[in-house]
Amino acid sequence: MLLVVEQLLNGLQLGITLFLMSAGLTLVFGIMQVINLAHGSFYMIGAYVCATVAAQTGSFLLGLAAALPAAALTGMLVEVVVLRRLYSREHLDQVLATFGLIMFFNELTRIIWGRQPLYLDVPPWLSGSVELLPGLIYPVYRLAVIGVGIFVALALWYMFSQTRLGMQIRAGASNRDMIGALGVNITLLYTLVFGLGTLLAGLAGVMAGPILAVESGMGESILILTFVVIVIGGIGSIRGAVAGALLVGLVDTLGRAFLPTLFRLLFNSATADAAAASLASMAIYILMAAILVWKPRGLFPAHS
Amino acid sequence: MKKLSRKNILIAAGALFFLVLPVAATLLEETYFISLFSRILIYAIAAVSLDLLLGFAGMISLGHAAYVGIGAYVVGIFFFHSSEAEPLFTFPFLLQGSESGLLVLPLAVLISALFALVIGALCLRTKGMHFIMITLAFAQMIYYFFISLGKYGGDDGISLYSRSSLPLLDLNSDLTFYYFCLFFLFLFVFFAKRLVDSRFGLIIRGGSNNERRLSALGINPYKYKLACFVIAGGAAGLAGGLLANQTEYISPGLMHWTLSGELMVMVLLGGLGTLFGPVLGAAVFLLLEEILAMYTEHWMVYMGPFLVLVVIFAKKGLFGIIVGEKNDNG
Amino acid sequence: MAENILEVIKLNKAYGALQATKNLSFSVARGHIHAIIGPNGAGKTTLVNQLTGDILSDSGKILFQAQDISRLKDYRRARLGIARSFQITHIFENLTVAENMALSICAHSSHNFRFWRKGLQSGVVREKLADCLSRVDLEKRGHIVASALSHGEKRQLEVGMALTGQPDLLILDEPMAGMGPGGTVELSKLIQKLKGSTTILLVEHDMDVVFSLADMITVLVYGENILTAPPAEIRQNKDVQAAYLGEQD
Repeated sequence: MLLVVEQLLNGLQLGITLFLMSAGLTLVFGIMQVINLAHGSFYMIGAYVCATVAAQTGSFLLGLAAALPAAALTGMLVEVVVLRRLYSREHLDQVLATFGLIMFFNELTRIIWGRQPLYLDVPPWLSGSVELLPGLIYPVYRLAVIGVGIFVALALWYMFSQTRLGMQIRAGASNRDMIGALGVNITLLYTLVFGLGTLLAGLAGVMAGPILAVESGMGESILILTFVVIVIGGIGSIRGAVAGALLVGLVDTLGRAFLPTLFRLLFNSATADAAAASLASMAIYILMAAILVWKPRGLFPAHS
Repeated sequence: MKKLSRKNILIAAGALFFLVLPVAATLLEETYFISLFSRILIYAIAAVSLDLLLGFAGMISLGHAAYVGIGAYVVGIFFFHSSEAEPLFTFPFLLQGSESGLLVLPLAVLISALFALVIGALCLRTKGMHFIMITLAFAQMIYYFFISLGKYGGDDGISLYSRSSLPLLDLNSDLTFYYFCLFFLFLFVFFAKRLVDSRFGLIIRGGSNNERRLSALGINPYKYKLACFVIAGGAAGLAGGLLANQTEYISPGLMHWTLSGELMVMVLLGGLGTLFGPVLGAAVFLLLEEILAMYTEHWMVYMGPFLVLVVIFAKKGLFGIIVGEKNDNG
Repeated sequence: MAENILEVIKLNKAYGALQATKNLSFSVARGHIHAIIGPNGAGKTTLVNQLTGDILSDSGKILFQAQDISRLKDYRRARLGIARSFQITHIFENLTVAENMALSICAHSSHNFRFWRKGLQSGVVREKLADCLSRVDLEKRGHIVASALSHGEKRQLEVGMALTGQPDLLILDEPMAGMGPGGTVELSKLIQKLKGSTTILLVEHDMDVVFSLADMITVLVYGENILTAPPAEIRQNKDVQAAYLGEQD
């Protein structure tokens, strides 16, 4: 039972990383109608900058403070230099250009930081574990990740429902023509939304840093999971991003943790392990296929 | 209807080039070119099949490498079981491994097409950005599936000790293998050309152009698009089957999504919707990669921005630029 | 001939608070040219899209040749014999005029999984293409890419494609939109020619066209049918004048 709770928390933590990635990306998709494959690059940039600064200064917080603007500014620069030219183009052009950006960023990090992965240490004040329930010992850092994620989700909710900027963004996501009619400076709004998205991606990268290895190409595996989240949640919907991220996080984590045990009850151990490993790695895609059959536009489609 | 247009001259020159290349390479004792160009021919088949989707049917599949990989694994798995002398499965019927090209290559096509049928049927429930992401996600699922197959080497894949056997032809000779691939490329490009001009092709092109109009005329685009997806998947499977033979090695890396992206780059670089262009695109991309890699291991840092520039400024692709006329399909 | 080819019964469609069609009922007699008129925003295009299946109705029924088609997909309705032209030209811009027309011919032939023979050379297409093109005066323009046609020619092509399958019901959504006076006359003649052989539901702004062609007119205001009557009666009606005709010119 404790194991289940622990895995639930792990799933929650993966879900939160995915939420940070998909919240920004789904807005970019929904508002600018541009498909951006390079979103994972900003996740990678966040992780690299934080790891470097933290190693130099010895302070995780300084690393974080450097990583967030780095991701946001790179994002806005990319928006101004490249993506802006692609808004009116076909999706195919957007896919190819952003694919080019991925190549560029991945190779650039290899030039700057080399091929060896960097390791980002958990800061001392977040290391260690706490006993959540009798017998359930859980790392503080992972709890902090969950806490930050919930905080960001609440902050985003506040921004979208209570502030003027948030309402403009929301209006844009559900009806693109409307923001123009509201007299908003669209060029600026797009750059800001893009920057916000890459900032969140950078934050996700920082938080994943101590859990995973910081390496070139780390952005793509999370990017594809993010796509699954967005497909499940519906393009342009923050609510969908929350639901999709939690679903994917939980299904993936619980699948990997418990499918082998379950299968061993049914088959002999060799077959069971192989089958469970295959199924666990495919679980979220099967989930996605099932949701597609049921709701082709995702759970919470923003455009009607 | 034979005109001596620039386009036809270019196509004839290209065909001639591919035909005499091994002769020239042998004379110059640069036999390395034969295997490099075999690879180019194989990727050209995959790129042309992707052009059917991207350039004619308007389906932006970002998972095309998966079908190449499946084709390669079909050849690899049959080879593996043949060399281990262990059947693939015994239930519901006994299936033995095989090294026979007459069996494994058609199977590579069929099984890839079958995967394309199932995945396409699901993906085509969606449109636009959803479609792009879902094709990518399913390709990734297949990638992870093959990684989880510990029996076939998991991440590391498996090595083949020889190429598929065929009556009369010895594919282990690089020269024979080159012409074998060239034959399939010619055959497929010819087939694809007929296809896009056929009634089926008309519907496919019409659907990519204005799907609502097509429905209003009484045509349900779904099954035509699905059929096109399956054809492209089968052709990619053929490319995969050949690729497994060319490298004599298969791994999940063959279906990594960056390869899907690279196939797209070949199509765009050569000329979207031209069928011949992607052949040129595959050649240029792989040669460029080869040459850049000689000078710097960080060739992608140049390739990336180059690609962005091509997309923004040279949408017609090399074929379009050289031929100087509009694409077949706008 | 007096039976109704199309019966619309209490059709509704709302977009949020906006009721685009509201308890809309009317019927179209076989062989008639039946016009739908109404001020902008009256829900005319919504109605057309509901009839053709581009959008599904919230409630109500559509009977076509006595068959309930309310829930059928657009392409199924097209195959039953409902053809349409769009208000904003919907042709295959990247294909040639002949290919456009060939597609409309293929649509009415069930054997389209033909991968080998050139589409333009296939039997049905060769048989009908010339007639279909000449019917809308495009026989000399077959080889041109459709996007290069003039606006008027595009409209002709659009109508021509709708006519190909000899539909039982032809729905023309503002066919005259954006046409010069010459084009309007041409198209009016074409519609006149079709009278009797095909039932036409004509949504049109140009009142001269409507009153010269229509056998029956339905006036739509805010999604409601305020009157369905022959042209002479519509002209006389005070309500119609107040709601609509008064606003014109």
